[in-house]
Amino acid sequence: MMNRTVKWVFWAAILVFVSIYPKLFGIYFTNVFVNFAIFALFAVSFNLLLGFTGLLSFGHAMYFGMGGYATALALVHIPGCPLLVALLIGFVSSVILALLICPIVVRVSGAAFSMLHMAFAQLMYVLALKLRGITGGEDGIGGFPIPAFRIPGIVSIDMKNPLNFYYFAMIVLVGSMWVLWFFTKTPFGQIMVSVRDNAKRVDYMGFKVPQTKAVIYAFAGGFAGVAGAIYAMFNDLISADGALHIMVSFAPILMTMVGGVASFFGPICGAGIFGLITEFTTRYTERVELVSGVILIVVILFFPLGFMGLVRFIKEKWFTKR
Amino acid sequence: MNILETKSLYHDFKGLKVLFDVNLQVREGERHAIIGPNGAGKTTLFNVISGTYRPSSGAVFFKEKEVTGFKPHEMVRLGMGRSFQITSTFSRLTAFQNIRMGVLSRRGIRFNLFRNVDKLDDVTRETDEKLKRINLHGERNFPASVLSYGKHRSLEVSMAMATDPELVMLDEPTAGMSKQETHYAIGLIRRLTEGKTAVIIEHDMDVVFSLADRITVLHLGTILASGPPTEIRESRAVKDAYLGEMED
Repeated sequence: MMNRTVKWVFWAAILVFVSIYPKLFGIYFTNVFVNFAIFALFAVSFNLLLGFTGLLSFGHAMYFGMGGYATALALVHIPGCPLLVALLIGFVSSVILALLICPIVVRVSGAAFSMLHMAFAQLMYVLALKLRGITGGEDGIGGFPIPAFRIPGIVSIDMKNPLNFYYFAMIVLVGSMWVLWFFTKTPFGQIMVSVRDNAKRVDYMGFKVPQTKAVIYAFAGGFAGVAGAIYAMFNDLISADGALHIMVSFAPILMTMVGGVASFFGPICGAGIFGLITEFTTRYTERVELVSGVILIVVILFFPLGFMGLVRFIKEKWFTKR
Repeated sequence: MNILETKSLYHDFKGLKVLFDVNLQVREGERHAIIGPNGAGKTTLFNVISGTYRPSSGAVFFKEKEVTGFKPHEMVRLGMGRSFQITSTFSRLTAFQNIRMGVLSRRGIRFNLFRNVDKLDDVTRETDEKLKRINLHGERNFPASVLSYGKHRSLEVSMAMATDPELVMLDEPTAGMSKQETHYAIGLIRRLTEGKTAVIIEHDMDVVFSLADRITVLHLGTILASGPPTEIRESRAVKDAYLGEMED
C-alpha cells in the first residue's frame, strides 16, 4: 500500500515538474525539453521491439521520418488542415508503412531482421533525397504553416507560441508513452514478452506468433510516427538527414542501451542522458558522437542493464542494508 | 474411439528417412507410452503430430478430424497440449506468468488491448489454483530460469496442461531427473492426466510399465509393436530390438 502512495506522489511530482518547467528554465531549455520528449517517445517505441519482443531494428528512423514527412506534406498541401488531423496522418502513414513491411519482417529474427531494416530505412532515405518534387530533396520540407489547435466555437490556441506548443507536445508525447506503457500491461503485452523469451513455445500455447509480432510492429511504427510528426511541427522542418539518416536509427539504440533495455522507462532515461550530453558537449565541440560513444562503451562494459539497471542495483543495496 | 491416429506417416530430413509407415493409434482416455532406442524417431513423431513439421506423406487424425500439416497453435486450439524434452519455458517470466499464458490461451484472451492483465481476477484465480495443484505456489513470483531443475521440469509439463487439453503429449517428462524427482514427477503426471488422454515418451522402463495403459515401441522409424504392457513385455521382437539389450 505504501509503495502505491509513493508511486502516486512520484507521478504527481513529475506532472507538476513538467507543467511548471517552462517557467523554471525559460524558453530555450523548454525547447531542449521538447526535443528530449520527442526522442523519448521514439526510443520507447523502439524498445517495444528490442526490449519487449527481442527484435533489434537498425532502421526505426523510417517510421520517425515517415510520420514527419506525412505530417509536413499534409500541412503543405491540405489548406486549413487541422493540427490533430495532421498528427493523425503522421501516425496512420507510419502504421500503413509498418503493415506493408511487416509480412516480410515478422517471419525473420536476429541479424536478418536488423539488416532488412537497415536496407528499408536506407531505401527511404534515398527516396526522400531523390523524389525532389515531393520531399524537397536535400532541403526537405520546411516553413509550412503550423495551424492553431482549434475546437470550433470553444477554443483556439495559437501553436506558434512556443509555450503553447510545449504543452501540446507534452500532452501528445506523454499520452503516447502512457498508451505504450499500458500496451505492455495488457494480456497482449504478456504475449509480447513471451515471444521475446521463447517464440516457439508461444506457438505451442495456442497463439499466432507472426500476427502477434505484426500488431506490436504496427504499434512501434505508428508511435515512432507520432514522434516524427511532433518533430516536424516543432522544427517546422523535416529533412532526410534530420529524420531518416542512419544516425537517427542508431539514436534510439544508444538511448535504450544506455537507459536500460530491460525496463519500460529505461529508454526515457537514455533519451534524457543523451539530451544532456548533446546539449553540453555542443558548447565545446561538434564531435558529440565521440562523447556518446565513450559513454556507450562504459555502459556496455560495466552496466549492461543500463541506467535503470544501476538504479535497481542501488535500490536493492539500500533496502538490504535496512 | 481413437482420439489420435496416424495413417502411414512418413517423414524424412533431406533424404534421411526418420519415420517409415507409422500407424499410431491412441484411444481416448488412455495413457499411451512411446518407447524405443535413441534415434528411433520418437521426438520426430511428436513434432509431426503436433505441427512443428509437416509430414512428407501420410495423414494425422485428431478427434477423427484430419489435421495433417496443422500449425502448433491450431492443434492447441483443437485441444492438444505438448511439453518438450529440452525445457522450453518463458525463462524471464515468473512461474505464475508462464502458467497464465495457458489460461489466457484457453479463454481465448489474445488480442485484448484494453484490460490490465493483472486485473483479470478470473484468470489470476485459475492460474493460482493450477500453481497449487503442481506445488509451485511457493515459487509463484520467481522467474522460471531460477527454479530448481525438478521444479522447472514440473513447470514445463504443467504448461502443456495449462490450456486444459484433451490430449497431452509429453516428451520425456522425466529427462535428467534424479530417482526421487522422477518418482515425484510421475505422481504429478498421474494426477494431472487423470481423465485425459496422454501420450508419453519415456526411457525409464519402470515408469513406463507402471504408468502406461498401452505401449507403442518405435524402432528405426517404424512401429515394432503396440499393445498393453504385459503383451509388450512378452513380445519376441521387442526383446530382440530393445528390451533385451537392457536386461544384459
